[in-house]
Amino acid sequence: MKLGLPTFLRTTTFKLALLYSAMFAAFSAALLVYLYYSTVYYIRNESDRRLDLEFEQLGNAYYTGGMERLSQSVLERMTRTGSTYFYYLEDSSGRKIAGHFQRMPVAPPEVDSKTVYFDFDQPEPDGSMIVRSAAGKFVRLRDNGGALLVAFDTAQQTAIVVRIQRAIFIAAPIGLILSLLGGVLISRGAASRADELARTAEAVMGGELGRRVPVRGSGDEFDRLGQRINAMLDQIEKLVDATRHTGNAIAHDLRSPLSRLRNRLEIALSQPLSQEAASATLNETVEEVDRVLATFNAILRLARLEAGAEGERVRMDVSELAEELAELFDPACEEAELTFKSQIARHLMILGDRDLIGQALSNMLDNAVKYTPAGGAISFTAVRGPDGTIDLTVVDSGPGVPQEARKTVVQRFQRLDSARTQPGSGLGLSLVDSVADMHGGELILQDAGGPPGQPGLKAILRLPRA
Amino acid sequence: MMPETLVEDTVVGDTMRVLVIEDDAEMASFIEKVLVEAGHSVDKAIDGERGLELARSTDFDALVVDRMLPAKDGLTLLKEYREAGGKTPALFLSALGDVQNRVQGLKAGAEDYLSNPFAPSELAARVEALGRRQVGEPQVTSLKAGDLEMNLLTRKVTRAGKKIDLQPREFRLLEYLMRHAGQVVTRTMLLEKVWDYNFDPQTNVIDVHISRLRAKIDKEFEEPLLHTVRGAGYRLQG
Repeated sequence: MKLGLPTFLRTTTFKLALLYSAMFAAFSAALLVYLYYSTVYYIRNESDRRLDLEFEQLGNAYYTGGMERLSQSVLERMTRTGSTYFYYLEDSSGRKIAGHFQRMPVAPPEVDSKTVYFDFDQPEPDGSMIVRSAAGKFVRLRDNGGALLVAFDTAQQTAIVVRIQRAIFIAAPIGLILSLLGGVLISRGAASRADELARTAEAVMGGELGRRVPVRGSGDEFDRLGQRINAMLDQIEKLVDATRHTGNAIAHDLRSPLSRLRNRLEIALSQPLSQEAASATLNETVEEVDRVLATFNAILRLARLEAGAEGERVRMDVSELAEELAELFDPACEEAELTFKSQIARHLMILGDRDLIGQALSNMLDNAVKYTPAGGAISFTAVRGPDGTIDLTVVDSGPGVPQEARKTVVQRFQRLDSARTQPGSGLGLSLVDSVADMHGGELILQDAGGPPGQPGLKAILRLPRA
Repeated sequence: MMPETLVEDTVVGDTMRVLVIEDDAEMASFIEKVLVEAGHSVDKAIDGERGLELARSTDFDALVVDRMLPAKDGLTLLKEYREAGGKTPALFLSALGDVQNRVQGLKAGAEDYLSNPFAPSELAARVEALGRRQVGEPQVTSLKAGDLEMNLLTRKVTRAGKKIDLQPREFRLLEYLMRHAGQVVTRTMLLEKVWDYNFDPQTNVIDVHISRLRAKIDKEFEEPLLHTVRGAGYRLQG
C-alpha cells in the first residue's frame, strides 16, 4: 500500500493513530504531573513534620530547663552523628548561643511557623566554601526574646525533584513516540481489514462474483461483517445466476416459436388471403403467442423461485393435497386409457407452500400422463421415506429416462428428443427440482423396473417431514 | 372461422356498469371493448385519484383496477375505497406471474385477481362473476337451472325429478356452475374456486371432470344444460 502524504493524512489509520497518541499523551501527561506534584508535596510535608518534631523536642528542653537546657540540647543534636539538621540559637540581643552558623543566616519571617529558605556557605575540609541551600523554621522564644532556627539541607530534596523532572522529560517524548507507533500499528490492523473488504468489493464489481471476504475465524467485528458481506454476495451471485439463466432460457426457448410466428405472418402477408385463411392464420397466431406467454410465465416463475422470491412455507398436511390431486388426475388417466392407482398414507406433515407443492406434484403426474402410452399404468403414492422424509412418488410404465439423461432432464429446457413432439415447455421437471430444493428436499429419478425398452419412470419427490 | 367479436357466444345477462381504472390507453380500450361486447357499459379512469373519486361518487356494479397507476397505485386505491365503506366488488389486474401480487391484491380488498396478459373471455367471465356477487347471495337452500335442481341442505340433485348421484367434488363443481348459471365460467376460475388451486395442473383435468359431470346430468336428457364455450370455458344454461 503506497500512499502519498496527503492521502495518508486522510486515512483512518492516520486519524486513529493521531487520536490514540493524543489520548495516550494526555493521559501520561496527567499522570506525570500528578506524580511530580504529589512527590514534591510529600517531601515538603515530610520535612515539615520532622522539623516540627525537632521543635517539639527542643521546646520540651526549653520548658523544663530554660535557655541552658535548650542550648545544651542544641549542642547535643549538632554533634549527633548522621544528623542532617542545622541549628542556630541566639539570645534576645541577637548574640549567638549555639549553632552551625556565625550569625542568623536568614531574616526572621513575619509569622513564626512559616518555612524559610536560605543559602549559606559551608566550609569544606579542604578549605573551600560551597554554597548550600536549606529550608527551615524559625521560632522566637517566649519570655526570653531569643530565637531558634532549625533547618535542613534541601540538596537531597532538590536532587529527588530534579530526578523526577528529568525522568518526566525523558519519559514524555518516549511515551509520545511509543503511543504514536502503537496507534499506527493498531489502526493499521483495522485499516488492512477494511482494505480487504474494499478489495473484495472491487473484485466483485469487476465481475469476479465468486470472490469472498477472507474470514479469519477470530469472531471479531470484522469477521462478523465479513461473514455478512459474504452471505450477501452469495445471495447476489445466486440472483445474478438466476437472471443469467433466465436470459439464456428466454433466448433458447422463445426464439424458435417467435421465428415460427414471424414466418407465418410473413407468408400471410406475401399472398392475398381469403377471409377464412386470414382467420385461420390469426387463430394460429394467437395460439402461438399464448404458448410463448405460457413459456415466458414458466421461466419467470422458475427464476423467481430459484431466487427465493416466491413461496411461503407453512405446516401443511401433504396427504390431503395428494389425495385431492389423485382425485383430480384419476379421470384424466381414465380418459387417456391408463390405469391409475393411488396410495396415500394419512396425515403426512411438511413445511411447504401448498401452491408450489401442488404445482410440482401436478407436473410429475402430468408428465406421467403425457408420456405413458395408452394401456399403461400410473401409480401415485405418498409414504414416509427414510431419515424423517416423506416420499411422494409417481411411477409410470412409459419409456422412462435413460440413466445418462437423468441429470440433464431436470435442467431447464432439457427434453429428451423423443419428447419433442409432445407439447410442453420442458420446464416441468426443472420446476419440480426447484420446488424440492426450496423445501430442502430432492427429486429422485429411477427406473420403474419395467421390461426393456419400456422401463417406466419412477419420480420421487422427497421432502423433509415437519 | 374468425369470430366477429372477442368473446364469442356471450349471453347478455344483466347489463353491468363497470368502472375500468387503467392508465394504459390501449389496455383500457381493450378491456372496454371486451366488456361492451359482453353487453356491459364501461366508464374509464386514467389514474388512481380520478378512479377513486369516480368509484365513490357513482354507483358501479364492478371495478376493474390495474395495479400500477399514476397518482395512486391500485392497492392504495382499493384500501382507501374499502376503508371509506365502498362495497362495489373489484377485479385486480396485475403483471404476469406474480403470485405475491395476488395475495396483496386480495388483502387490499379485491374480490378477484387476474394477471396480465389474459384472454378476453377470462376477463369477461370474471367481471360477470363479480357482478353477480354484489347482488348478494342470500341464504338460498336450493339452486335451479332449467329442470335441474339442487338442494343445498340435503345435497340432493335431481333433473326432471330423476335423482342424480354425484361425488362430493362433482357436487361442488355443479354447485359453482349453478350459482353462475347463464355465465361463462373459465377453467382457471373452476380451479381457483372449486379446487382452491392457484396453480396450473396442465393436463386437461378440468375438461375430464366436466365431461364426467355432463355424463351424469345431460346424458339421458334431450336438452343439454352444460355447454362448452369454445376458447373460454363452460356455461350452465337452463
